Parts: sequence; C-alpha cells; structure tokens
Amino acid sequence: MSMPKIQVCDVKKCFNGKVVLDGISLDVMPGESMVIIGLSGTGKSVLMKCMLGLLKPDEGQILVDGEDWCTLPEREQLERMRRIGMVFQGSALFDSLPVWENVAFALLRQGTSKKEARKRASHVLEMVGLPGTEDVMPAELSGGMTKRAGFARAICHKPEMVFYDEPLAGLDPIMADAITQLMLRLHKEFQVTSFTIAHNMTLARRFGDRIAMLMDGKIHRILSPNELDSCQDPAVRQFVEGRADGPIHVLEG
Amino acid sequence: MHSGAYASTLLKVVRSMASPPWYPGLILRQAEEVGVQSLPVVLLTALFTGMVLALQSYIGFHRFGAESMVATVVSLSMLRELGPVLVGLMVAGRVGASFAAELGTMRVTEQIDALWTLSTDPFRYLIMPRLFAAVLMMPLLVALADAIGMFGGYIISVSFLDQTPAVYIESSTMFLELSDLYSGLIKAAAFGGIIGIVSCSEGFNCSGGAQGVGRATTRAVVVSAMSILVFDYIITAWMFR
Repeated sequence: MSMPKIQVCDVKKCFNGKVVLDGISLDVMPGESMVIIGLSGTGKSVLMKCMLGLLKPDEGQILVDGEDWCTLPEREQLERMRRIGMVFQGSALFDSLPVWENVAFALLRQGTSKKEARKRASHVLEMVGLPGTEDVMPAELSGGMTKRAGFARAICHKPEMVFYDEPLAGLDPIMADAITQLMLRLHKEFQVTSFTIAHNMTLARRFGDRIAMLMDGKIHRILSPNELDSCQDPAVRQFVEGRADGPIHVLEG
Repeated sequence: MHSGAYASTLLKVVRSMASPPWYPGLILRQAEEVGVQSLPVVLLTALFTGMVLALQSYIGFHRFGAESMVATVVSLSMLRELGPVLVGLMVAGRVGASFAAELGTMRVTEQIDALWTLSTDPFRYLIMPRLFAAVLMMPLLVALADAIGMFGGYIISVSFLDQTPAVYIESSTMFLELSDLYSGLIKAAAFGGIIGIVSCSEGFNCSGGAQGVGRATTRAVVVSAMSILVFDYIITAWMFR
C-alpha cells in the first residue's frame, strides 16, 4: 500500500484559549481528492492554513511525503511551496499585476524567462476558458473569470497538490457547474492530490473521493460520496440535507 | 503593544538584508511612488514654508535693524529643521497611509497568504522594497525641499522686502556649514525608516476587514507623525552634543 501524500497527525490549534482543532488526524493518498465539509467556524480554514504553513499548529505534525513541514525553517518551507497550488475563496489575485503576471507569478519567481512564463500563462488561461485576458487587470474581470484566473495561477507551475478553499462560493449555479467541471478536468489531467473545503454538497459528491466532516474541532466522519447519502448519522444527515433542526445547533448563544 | 511589532519588523529587515532576493525592480517602483509621486506636495509645502519664514523672520529682525539676517534664518531653518520635519510629515501622510492601506487590503483579501503559497516570502517581497525606497528617497526629497524653501524665501525677500539678490544669496550661504546640510539629510533618512517600518508593520499585521484597514491606516499616519517629532528631538539633541 502506498504512503499517504499528506498526513495530518493529531493536530491541535487554539486561539486565545479557544480550541479550534482538537487532535485532527487525516491521511490524503496520492492522486486522491479529499473534501472537507462542516459548519462555518469549525476550523476547516484553520486546518488548511496549518497544512499550507500559514499557521503553526500548537501540537501535532503535518507530513508531506513523510516529511514534517511544520518544523522546517521558513526558507525551506517556501521552497516546498512550489509543489503546492492554492485556489483562494476570493481568488486573491494581485491587483497591481495583469492577469498573465498573476498566473505566471510562481514561474517568474522561480527564474523562468518572461517570454516563456507568458507563453505558459497563455496556455493555462486558454485551458480555463480565459483566452485573450493576459493583459487585463484583475479588477476588470467578472466573479467567475476571477475564479478561473485563480485556478490558472494555482496550476500554472504544475503543482503536485492543489488546495481549494470554497471554490464555488458566490457563484451562480451555471458558473458553479462550469467550475466543478474545470476542477474535475484539472484533477484528472494533472493527476494532482486535491484538498478542498466545500459547503456545496453537489461539489463534495462530484469532486470528492472521500469526504471528511469536521465538527467541534474533530473529524466527525470520513465517508465516500455514496456513503454520504446512505449514512444515518444525525449530524451528517442534518448537514447534507441543510436543516436548521437537528443535533447541530446553529442559533444558540 | 505595537512597538513590539515595529521592533520585530526592524529585526527581520536587518536579518533579511544579509541574503537575496532583494528585488531591485520593486525597490525602483516604490522609489518612484515615494519620491516622484510625492514631489508636488513636498515642493509646494517647502515653497510656502520658505515664503512664510521670510516674512515672519523679517518682522522680528526689522525691530532691531538686522533685516539682512532673514536669508540666514531661512536657509538654516530649512536645512536643519523644517525641511526634514515637514517633508517627513507630508510623506507620512501620503506614502505612510498608502503603504498601510495597500498592505492591509492585501492582508484581508488573502493576497499576502497567496504570496506565501506561491513560494514567495511576503515580508521580503512587500516590506523590504518599500522600506528601502523610503530610506533612500527621503534625503533626496528633503534636499529638493531645502532648495525650494530657500528659493521661496528669496522670492519674498527680493520682491517685497527690498533685499538685493546678491546680498540675499550671500547671507544665505555665509553662515552655513556642511553639517547643517548633512544633519538634515541624516534626519530625513531616519524619518524615511520610521515611516517605512511603522506603516508597513501596521498594514502587514492588519486584521478585521475594511474597518481593520481603516484603523491600520490611521495608526500608521498618527504613529509615524508622532515618532518623527520625537525622533527629531532625539537626533537633534544627539547632534547638539
């Protein structure tokens, strides 16, 4: 059996005494697509930030290919970020740079020539359905286009792992379907390991090989898309069906 | 509470200076923003300060018949004190606010996190070029402001206070020493450092959405301006010994 690509081992994280992650353990296999679901404020983004090195866990380890990234010096952590692509909820494109420089940012920083980087950016932009937008500024793009430009930036440097934070947030249903198809295509074509935070259950079912539900700072259940629909766990059912009444109390205090 | 963040920014800058990348292209871009873009506001401030200074000092000197000293007072005041302090305050308002707002917006829209995920050290990429640009451009701005301020005093003295151009120019330079010039330029570089460190720290460590960016921007300008006045005294007292 192959070694997990990403191993989250007993990770704990507190903010001002409030426990956000309470001993999370999780394996993501090479080429797998893991989707994390859970109520807002349950620590999904904190978990992802810990995995990306943006936050340091209070306890526990995050291993990538068996190497603990949390204990590495900052310079080496940055070096390893070349293997990662990240799609932010709000796209986080750099306002001051045209689309092509956003997309080719990692390549340019790695010393690729401007000509070569632009060529690669144009190719990736075409792949995500944004041909001819190289010289457009991010502020001139629509919501869906910004999202796709964010995708292009995440994959332009050919990462091994892609992280998605709420990739469908704020999109209309048609654009959401287009983005889901794009994610599936990229996942298949680039054979990357994917880690996605999602509230959209359609995305979770279509894109996830496994779906982990986070609750009260712990992994509540890990299920396949088929098990998600047949699972009788009341908390899972409530979340999947999107009901306010059930074991998860959202309107308290 | 914030002085800790400023000290930590300063320490990190000193540590980061030792090794590349230094991003010379970004330093140039920021130098244009800090220097060239600040020229109109700085030069206008200096021109009118020199003009007012000439008028005010004339009133005092006229009472005991020492009108020829107006030029000396204008040039000494501009070089040693008013040039660096006024330019510092203007740049703190214009550039400090811009640094804090830009970095704060980048923080709350996750652009700083994005830099990290694109294997770029956000500190080096965002803070160091801005800080270097502020330290390098402030003395240049102050040198220009000094010249324009003295020119403002010249216009008023020659046009309205019956002084001849030759006497004014001679009085301007007669009592000046090289230390008058470089003490002002040293102050200018120090004020550039203060503006860079305070504004970049405030923006970089900002949190709390649009309101947080607003708070960081206000604090950047207020703390920079206050620090300029405090350090102006400290540097002057140190040079006075």
